[in-house]
Amino acid sequence: MSIDLKLDKAGDAVTVSVIGDIDMSSSTKMRDALAPLFQNNNKLVVVDLSGVSYIDSSGIATLVEGLQWSHSSKNKFRLAALTPGVKDVFEIARLLTVFEVFETKEQALVE
Amino acid sequence: MTQPIKLSIPGDPKYLGLIRKVLQELLDSHDVPDDTARRLILCVDEACANVIKHSYEGPCEEPIEATFTIEGGDFKVQIRDYGKQCDIGQIKPRDLKDVKPGGLGTHLMNEIMDEVNYCTNRANGTLLTMIKKLRTRLTTTQDKGKG
Repeated sequence: MSIDLKLDKAGDAVTVSVIGDIDMSSSTKMRDALAPLFQNNNKLVVVDLSGVSYIDSSGIATLVEGLQWSHSSKNKFRLAALTPGVKDVFEIARLLTVFEVFETKEQALVE
Repeated sequence: MTQPIKLSIPGDPKYLGLIRKVLQELLDSHDVPDDTARRLILCVDEACANVIKHSYEGPCEEPIEATFTIEGGDFKVQIRDYGKQCDIGQIKPRDLKDVKPGGLGTHLMNEIMDEVNYCTNRANGTLLTMIKKLRTRLTTTQDKGKG
């Protein structure tokens, strides 16, 4: 099981679009893609999860790491377009209020 | 369902998708509602990931044996491994107020399942048994169909 990642950079913002199931076998790939974004001059990092129907605790852990990296680098880190399955896991983990979550990636980029 | 469904996969993350697909098919065939099925699949995935991470201490060829039973309105899954036995006293969900990577799997399983029981009373490995009562949800779905 693998995921596809697409990076779109526009000005100071970068959007990472993830497609596929995020589990123990694929979360490392997402981590490797996210980590360098906080070392560059990106003021805003948005993760578009509209193409993800499944996420496990390793995927959640990677996004929590992203949040911590954003705090260290003083950048913004936002999640967008959570599917019902993904949103459910965030709710059970009580993490929905910890992240900045937006309905669409466009909203995450503008607001 | 009288006969349990048994599936054995190598202790490697690349097979977790396979076990999720098999379980999805099984739950679909028993008309388990999508939201419930999704949560049950998450628990089984987390349990297998814990086996790979903690019992086998990394990807390997050693088996993870999953046995699924749906009977009397209960979903039961047993996950058997032959790796390092877990210290049951050390298995506990982390404090959710402490936001940090990792340690969520146990919380998710405890939150979703009605029973989570680890048994290390054997020569090697661990047998994890998780039970979820489906009766209420299944009855509700059937009742809606009748209406």
